[in-house]
Amino acid sequence: MDEDNLNRYYETLELKPHASFSEIKSAYFHLKKLYSSQSAVLSIMMAEISETRSERLLAQIEEAYLELKEYYSTTKIEKQQVTRDRVMRKNIPEFEVFSGNALKLTREVLGISLEEIALATGIPLNHLKSIEMERFDMLPPGGYIRIYVGKYAEYLSLDSKRVTEDYMKAVAQKRHAYDRYRF
Amino acid sequence: MDNNKHKQVKIWAIGGGKGGTGKTFVLSQLANCLASKGKQVILVDTDFGGANLHTFFGIRRNPASIMNFFEKKESLEDLVIETPIENLSIIPGNSASVTPANINHAQKIKLFRHIQGLAADYILLDLGGGTSIDTIDIFLLADRLIVVAVPEVTAIENLYQFIKSVYFRKLRILFARYGLKDTAKNIWQNREKYEIKGIADLLEYLKKKFPHLDKIISDNLADFTVYIILNKVRNPREVQEGFSIKSICIKYIGVNARYSGYIEYDYQFWRHLSLIQATPDITVSYNIKNDVMKITDNIISGEQMRIDSLKNV
Repeated sequence: MDEDNLNRYYETLELKPHASFSEIKSAYFHLKKLYSSQSAVLSIMMAEISETRSERLLAQIEEAYLELKEYYSTTKIEKQQVTRDRVMRKNIPEFEVFSGNALKLTREVLGISLEEIALATGIPLNHLKSIEMERFDMLPPGGYIRIYVGKYAEYLSLDSKRVTEDYMKAVAQKRHAYDRYRF
Repeated sequence: MDNNKHKQVKIWAIGGGKGGTGKTFVLSQLANCLASKGKQVILVDTDFGGANLHTFFGIRRNPASIMNFFEKKESLEDLVIETPIENLSIIPGNSASVTPANINHAQKIKLFRHIQGLAADYILLDLGGGTSIDTIDIFLLADRLIVVAVPEVTAIENLYQFIKSVYFRKLRILFARYGLKDTAKNIWQNREKYEIKGIADLLEYLKKKFPHLDKIISDNLADFTVYIILNKVRNPREVQEGFSIKSICIKYIGVNARYSGYIEYDYQFWRHLSLIQATPDITVSYNIKNDVMKITDNIISGEQMRIDSLKNV
């Protein structure tokens, strides 16, 4: 992203350049709430601003957040991949079969937090946890699991095809056993 | 401290439009905090109509006031009174006078020059309420423009009005310097025709018409920043209101604003103030001291409250 645009987005959200993502998120939610509500602090200034301007304001806030979110998730992946490839990749143990636990171990060796993956891939944090713990009953239907596991593996720079195949086999087995027990 | 080196005195002014928001209290607290850091601090009561700074320092009968500077031509240095607090002295206002004071333009200029010449690290100016031209001009003299509000709609409304007046005064001086005064005035008077509602709209219109104006404003007003302090804050929701006020100043009025911090409501404080020994270093709770310390550091450094420091509001 070009530097000028980036600085404009920070300015819109009233933040310093290179603010943390947590600040970006808080600022966005606060401003969005403020300018789309009729709170007292705002309504006493209503006469000060034209309607088109205030609409434009909300659109700018929205745009700034979406662009920054995109920027933060991509640069984080790039940064992470560089470190991974350089230092830590050799420490990852070889796995016969990729289970939830294997994903967790790989992630921990690479020093990546679940929050980071959730942020970068858009997978809800609780689902990531369930994937690692193989709590299939807590997860959405199979198609979703396949996509989630694929994205997760990709983020760890693993062979996502192989990982999903292994993982979905386990899912099928567990679900099968569960169904047999139920009927 | 190196006394031989030429020191640049820093001037902070505290205003805010509405009376009763605790401007003088906040000022005395900031001064106390700076003094405890070993800085030489002089407080000047420039609230010509309703001086009460001296009361915060337990000074009941002030022998001399800032009016002596105007009326008896005494030098400003001679009017400085020591307080019980180390490094901290004050120039009291005129509480003895029976008529509200008015000073003319020449007197104002003279006062500014002498204030800037006082020997101190920090000079803190206590302003009265309202948006009179005297108040605004004294406010604009400072390096740090600090405003105090309480989380009440009326106070916040007056705060906006105050900031608008200050900013408009500053812009008018700028317009005059670049020959835009009449044009701006003309557009403002016919603002319905141009669909201009406030200062931000006016500036946007003028910038479109005069492409150089953008650069002129960013060159001249880059340092023009308002530091917001919220006083008498009772709960996290009110803490958050500071961010809203800051944002509205930036987006609706168009000024740089920072939310420097807030001070908790102290139920004990007003009881203490009625005691004759009241001084800023002993009458406030630990919480207030803590709040004030953060604010002082933020005003010195230009940092501000982090919006993600508030969770679960």
